[in-house]
Amino acid sequence: MGVASLASTIFDLEPSVIGRGLLLLCLTLLIAGCGSKQVIVEGNFPEPLLDPLPLTLGVIYPSAFAEHEFFDEAKGRAESDWLVKTGEAQVEFWDTLFGGMFAKVVHIRDWETVERHRAEIDGVLIPAIGELQYTVPTHTNVKIYEIWMRYEFRLVDISAIHQQEDGALTFNPDERLATWPITAYGKTPTAFLQTDEEAVNLAAVVALRDAGAHFVTTFGAQPDIALWLNAIASRELPAETSSSMPETDGAPPTDTPVATESAAEMTTTTSPDEQQPANAPSANSASAGEAS
Amino acid sequence: MKRLRIVDLAPRWWGLVVIALLLGGCVNATVDEMTYNEPVAGIGESSVVILGRRHAPDYDTEFDFIECIGDHIHRGDPSIDVINEIAFINQFYPWFEPRTAPMQPQTIHRLLQLPPVAERFAEMQLEYMIWIDGNTIDTESTGSMSCGIGPGVAGCFGFGTWGTESEYEATIWDFTDKVEVGRVSAVASGQSYMPAVVVPIPIIAPVQGTACDSLGDQLLEYLSAHH
Repeated sequence: MGVASLASTIFDLEPSVIGRGLLLLCLTLLIAGCGSKQVIVEGNFPEPLLDPLPLTLGVIYPSAFAEHEFFDEAKGRAESDWLVKTGEAQVEFWDTLFGGMFAKVVHIRDWETVERHRAEIDGVLIPAIGELQYTVPTHTNVKIYEIWMRYEFRLVDISAIHQQEDGALTFNPDERLATWPITAYGKTPTAFLQTDEEAVNLAAVVALRDAGAHFVTTFGAQPDIALWLNAIASRELPAETSSSMPETDGAPPTDTPVATESAAEMTTTTSPDEQQPANAPSANSASAGEAS
Repeated sequence: MKRLRIVDLAPRWWGLVVIALLLGGCVNATVDEMTYNEPVAGIGESSVVILGRRHAPDYDTEFDFIECIGDHIHRGDPSIDVINEIAFINQFYPWFEPRTAPMQPQTIHRLLQLPPVAERFAEMQLEYMIWIDGNTIDTESTGSMSCGIGPGVAGCFGFGTWGTESEYEATIWDFTDKVEVGRVSAVASGQSYMPAVVVPIPIIAPVQGTACDSLGDQLLEYLSAHH
């Protein structure tokens, strides 16, 4: 009561009003410390500064990619449940990147689009998120929020896309032109007046930008992609490719078991002994398979 | 009755507050400079961009520190056109991301082989690219503070203090010749205090601000014809 009296003298308010206000504030802070936290990743993504490759690229965003989210359950009272939805931001970001990187991009959502653009599409790209890990300061005691992602990109010929009886699109992995992983890392330090959610969002945006930078700088260097680009160049002389994507001697494609995968439901499997980059967070992973 | 007891305690606390006020705000700063080929007549209508290094695993150079340096330079000589860092990075995406940013001035040549990049640089009339590497951290902290709440009662009592250190190095690249033309470093440290009698009163040492002013002054001296 004495403290409230002193405070009431300073702020010229009734002690009970101040006490109730402070009580409410503390309760709010306590409640905010435990519940679940949700982030819908949002950001402004710049167009890449590139000479577009003279190609028409088909893009299929599988539903697991376009609606990607991960959920991590709290492991103790001091932690919170986390639900991070990256799907919308993924589609927005990769649309912007592909739009600046290729002369024309065709979004393939149905068989009609496949039929209509079959003649002009040079290849169909199908991205997938293989794994996502994150850390927040409550996990590590380090004042940094981190997100690490591993993508699996597949490039297939338009002829490898088929229609199922139910209308869904599928593709035969054996007919792929290339498959390659892309890793991405984003971090952001804690900042005054920045909530956990804002910091995780920012780390996710940084990771997306990093994924784009990694994709652009390694695309032409993938052996199978180089073979594909060379084949297109020899077919459509004189072909022009950007100097930012150096061509390399390609290795022959590896043999894979014949199977049919649904493009819309495609998932990637994770090998337990898979290597991670040195700067990847080590705790709290949520693979695409765990996404709810 | 309780109110009187608080008043009785007050002189001890106010003594701490006075000491803290006397000590607070004391920041030590050291600046080292090594520069070549100073533009004696200034940089004219050319522009300067100041960028933070963010490739280290354990820290990022703060965006607001880069903005502070840019503002300091522009305030000191309004004729110097300092390009906004975030706008620059977005305009040149993906070539100045942590993964792709050039680490040596010579590697700018490779970037300029990309026609759209070369065109954009030409439009900007960029004369100097300044990279800032470093950060500000809180060091040792001591003291204790207790906060309590009850029906109609709430407040904090105690005293805390912590140190802050800033360490930054600016590397100046001459964009025309693609060479490094100087390095300026600033190290600042200070002690902050937080006495609390019902309400905590933070007395923050402006360590990062001092580092910004120190580094900004040296860069301004290098770039401006009027300093």
